[in-house]
Amino acid sequence: MEAPDDDRLLHQRVVGGDEAALGEVYDRLSALIFGLSLRVTRDRVIAEDITQEVFLIFWERPLAYDPGRGTLRAWLATIAHRRAVDHVRAEERRRVSTLGPRLVEPPPPRLEETVLAADEAERVRRAVTALPDGLRQAVELAYYGGRTYRQVAEELGVPEGTAKSRIRLALRRLADALAEEEV
Amino acid sequence: MEPVDRLYLDALAADAEVPAGSLRPQLLAGARARRRPAAPTAAWARPYAGRVAAMDALLASAGDDDWSRVVVEGWNLQELVAHLAAKDGLLAAAVGAPVLGPPITASDALGRTADVQAHERARSPEQTRRDWRAQADALCRHLAALAPEAPATLDGMETAVRDHALARALETWIHADDAARAAGVRLPHPVPEHIHPTADLCARLLPWTMLLSGLDGAGRALHLTLTGPGGGEWHVPLGVADTGAREPQARITADVVEFCFLLGGRGEPESFAAELEGDLGLARDVLRAAPALSGP
Repeated sequence: MEAPDDDRLLHQRVVGGDEAALGEVYDRLSALIFGLSLRVTRDRVIAEDITQEVFLIFWERPLAYDPGRGTLRAWLATIAHRRAVDHVRAEERRRVSTLGPRLVEPPPPRLEETVLAADEAERVRRAVTALPDGLRQAVELAYYGGRTYRQVAEELGVPEGTAKSRIRLALRRLADALAEEEV
Repeated sequence: MEPVDRLYLDALAADAEVPAGSLRPQLLAGARARRRPAAPTAAWARPYAGRVAAMDALLASAGDDDWSRVVVEGWNLQELVAHLAAKDGLLAAAVGAPVLGPPITASDALGRTADVQAHERARSPEQTRRDWRAQADALCRHLAALAPEAPATLDGMETAVRDHALARALETWIHADDAARAAGVRLPHPVPEHIHPTADLCARLLPWTMLLSGLDGAGRALHLTLTGPGGGEWHVPLGVADTGAREPQARITADVVEFCFLLGGRGEPESFAAELEGDLGLARDVLRAAPALSGP
């Protein structure tokens, strides 16, 4: 998926050394990046550090991002996720090493170009299945089926505004469900 | 990205958690320490400051291979940066800004380039990069205090300092693009508000490129339409002494970035993608002459 025009323009501005553009990227995406980092690390201080670092990486090496290959949001989220997972794994290793050596080392993790690892993706899919039918259908059509709001509305036989608000409500329910599961 | 990833991110965004205090001021302070922003300068010199920052972002990730690889004109990346520093230095000297590198003995572009390259070959690429950036940033700060129409004489050519700064923007843009191609990196274009004045300079140079190519455009005019972000419409009298509006004999429509690059010597006039109307011979002459001012 190609990045939208406003991603391209922000990228052009950041490459040209425009600090205000970095501020705009931060305003737009910091809550998401912080939320993602917090969800994985469950540590507010660490999540704040990761959030800072993700935006600094974008500023310092803006040419590492290629708008031809995806959205800025996905690119930053992938870096944040990778950093957060690295942090959790380093913590686990520290805990394990104080308990004594393990007989079998787990295989090193594969870092993939996706935000979610397989088991986490499965968790999201399960949470979708658990949504009430009306919400679940709307989300499945919009995300798995790649339909627009208007197409979702047509297929469900509801006004477009209803389809939109069902998807919005579904996303909030999903966020709650994913958060509960983690506690 | 997988649909499930997108769903996950949208769910997180719907449930946005915000850190206790805003991290924005710390972020911007940290950013400044990691990579210098474009130097503050007058609005008309910002296209130049922006291309310097973009070139520097490219240089920041250059490894030993990149520094030693031949980029253009038989120069490696370090020699190319020395060439930019040489030409920036001539403008700096013309307006009374600080000049770095060896004392200026040759005041023509090729002579100064040879001197600065000889000086820089004895130093590390990082030193070359640091002095090029320091001199360019000092020049930007110096330009901030000048009127855009103030005359400056550079390499025997007197014109408004604004046009010299735009010429530096175009050259830095083109060489950053050369370096990015050599390194296999995709360099985004400048923002539209920086492309537009650069394209305007290129349009105003056409009578000169005609003259330099031995074509006298006196009494004739061109209507130029440049498409894409930063583009626009220009009415261009083709004689260097022509004033006032005349009915254009020819029309050219082309992509704004490709047109700037054609003036900068990157592109083949014969195969240049453009729509020509009216006096086709005149339109082709304009395109054929366009690269005439592009030096190394």
